[in-house]
Amino acid sequence: MVNLVLKFVSCARAAGLRISTSEVLDCLNQLELVDILDEPQFAAVLRANFAKSRREQHHFDRLYHLFFHELRIDESIAHSEALAAQIQEALDNLPLESNGNQSSQAVLNFLKGDPLQFLEQLRQALSGRDGQGGGMGANLGAVVRRLELMLQINAFDNALLEFFNDQRGRMNWETRRDLGEHFNARLKSARRLLTQQPMGYDIGAEKLLSYKKHLDRLGEVHFASLTKKEVEEMREVIEQLVRKLKDRISRRFASRNRGILDVKKTLRRSAKYHGIPLEIIFRTRPPRKAKIVTLCDVSGSVWSAARFMLNMLYSLQECFTQVRSFVFVAGLDEVTQIFEDHEINQAIDKVLKEANIEYNAATDYGLTFRQFHNEYMDIINKKTTFIIIGDGRTNYSNPEEQILDEIRERSRRVIWLNPETQQFWYTGDSEMRTYQSCCQEVRPCQNLNQLLEFITTLVL
Amino acid sequence: MKFKNVEHVQTALEAAEYICSKTIATVVFLAQATQKPVLVEGPAGVGKTELSKAVARSLRRELIRLQCYEGLDETKALYEWEYAKQLLYTQMMKEKIDDVISGSNSLSDAVDRIADQEDAFFSERFIQPRPLLQAIESSQPVVLLIDEVDKSDPEFEAFLLEVLSDFQVSIPELGTHKARNIPFVFLTSNDSRDMSDALKRRCIHLYIDYPERELEMKIVLLKIPRINESLAEQVVDTIRKIRELELKKKPCISETLDWAQSLITLQVEDLSTEVVADTLNVICKYRADVEQVKQKIDKIMN
Repeated sequence: MVNLVLKFVSCARAAGLRISTSEVLDCLNQLELVDILDEPQFAAVLRANFAKSRREQHHFDRLYHLFFHELRIDESIAHSEALAAQIQEALDNLPLESNGNQSSQAVLNFLKGDPLQFLEQLRQALSGRDGQGGGMGANLGAVVRRLELMLQINAFDNALLEFFNDQRGRMNWETRRDLGEHFNARLKSARRLLTQQPMGYDIGAEKLLSYKKHLDRLGEVHFASLTKKEVEEMREVIEQLVRKLKDRISRRFASRNRGILDVKKTLRRSAKYHGIPLEIIFRTRPPRKAKIVTLCDVSGSVWSAARFMLNMLYSLQECFTQVRSFVFVAGLDEVTQIFEDHEINQAIDKVLKEANIEYNAATDYGLTFRQFHNEYMDIINKKTTFIIIGDGRTNYSNPEEQILDEIRERSRRVIWLNPETQQFWYTGDSEMRTYQSCCQEVRPCQNLNQLLEFITTLVL
Repeated sequence: MKFKNVEHVQTALEAAEYICSKTIATVVFLAQATQKPVLVEGPAGVGKTELSKAVARSLRRELIRLQCYEGLDETKALYEWEYAKQLLYTQMMKEKIDDVISGSNSLSDAVDRIADQEDAFFSERFIQPRPLLQAIESSQPVVLLIDEVDKSDPEFEAFLLEVLSDFQVSIPELGTHKARNIPFVFLTSNDSRDMSDALKRRCIHLYIDYPERELEMKIVLLKIPRINESLAEQVVDTIRKIRELELKKKPCISETLDWAQSLITLQVEDLSTEVVADTLNVICKYRADVEQVKQKIDKIMN
């Protein structure tokens, strides 16, 4: 019994399940407590100890079936013991040419009833860890490995056929029939394992891992060079990140406020009890929320960065007292209303079409600042964080940096996000050098990771 | 009372109005025999919480429940000092304190005398046990249900690990409390995050999936005795088909029961397409799901 379970465990480990020694011990102890002749009970004990998550469960079930059903010699055949010996003999005498490489050994063992090597090879093939033939994004290595196993299985199939033909004269027809059936069943289950396996548990984990890598890579891609599909994926990422960020903010708030005694209120309350502070009041001061004003350049490449920032800002709206957003090319328009009335992604599309600005004009920062100064200066106060997203390319018109200076005077801080590659910042018609001196902070904002870093510092 | 073997678990739970598969029964039996906690996972509404309640009923033990949520900490899960009570006692015993220190001729003498009495205020009397301490201190063996453990923070999970492995709790002022009776522990999880390997290793793992058809039939007939068998069959078959769709939230056993109950209230004898369409709100909890089922309703009913 112990040997059987241990054998199963080593097979399961070879197939990628993580089973610790203490789990094996637990399992063996528990098997003594149940009726192991009753299969559901036996299976339940093994499952409870070896497959400890949903993902592993399917994998476990398949292994269990393989090990305890498909690979057992059918007891119903009258002379099963004699058959076992025959099997051994048949396999030893197989007329096979290339007996030396790993895969053929694995298949041979599988036919003998020991799936360990086969499973191990299968796992390696599937996880593609061998790295052979695997280029960028290709799963060729895995295909090659599986093909090799498949070829081996076929080779064995042929070899067995040949063997039986040779033995026609020497072997009893009944034995031949039984042996044939036995080997056919084995080969069939080996093939099925090979073709079914991609659904397995390890793959799920690997896929998840590679997906995460993919997302990480996405974080480094310049906003302008994202494909449409990637933009969709980005949304998902942003949603996740926003959720995480919100969690962090709320937890931080909760823990920061825990245990701060509100002396004033406690004393006042204690008057009820002859000055004894029976009820203790803790302070819960709401976190300081910033007021945000964003100014987004919607011309060409800059917009791709701006849309992601707006997306995040509006998803995090409850972390701020107010978010007001303006878009500009030459002259600006407030689009806060659009964001308030529509779902975020719709709103972003709408902004690109319906804002009251000249989309085809040449970008004019000076004009934009003048207009802002004339119409909206009243919304800037000491709580306001003023964010500009733009490349600072003024098309050689007046940069009007004194207005930005004034805004800085009146607001809490001015932050400039530049989606342009940093080495081009100070070239041509870019006025970044002029504007830089008017801002508390200038950040490059070319990809998701940079944007995220910015948003995190903004809300935390 | 104790379970004798796996079959006994099954019959005992059935008597407590919980029908379970052999896998569940085996795990429950093992958990009792080895005194290990059971980590129950599965989709919402398949009866994870109900299982622990049923076990409590059939073993005639008290059920102590700890609902986990983000930010749950030791003061809510383990124990807390009753500040108000301590203060009240100090106030009432002011004169007694005068007695204690009367006759002392120096300040340090007075402090020493009070120090002798210090234990009075950090004693069992002023401790307020929360679920974990209750379960450990109880003189009768209990069933402890730690519900939705995946909602709690990882730190709490680590803390839980300590309690579950030794069944003891140390209170700095009082010393270590060891469990008088090892409680029967159930942890439930909705898969919203993976539990740590360390916790999994200490538990017996049980995954409860949607039940087999026969099992679900039995459950419906047991929980809603007034239903007739043909309607129950229709209900179960329909639900099983709906489960095969790609829904946001698949209907589970509790929805099956709710639905069967409402069909009885509506005095429905036979399930028709219209009836299903009208009562869909009981089964599907998202509007998108309702729409989807409505579109495919003909396929489901045939």
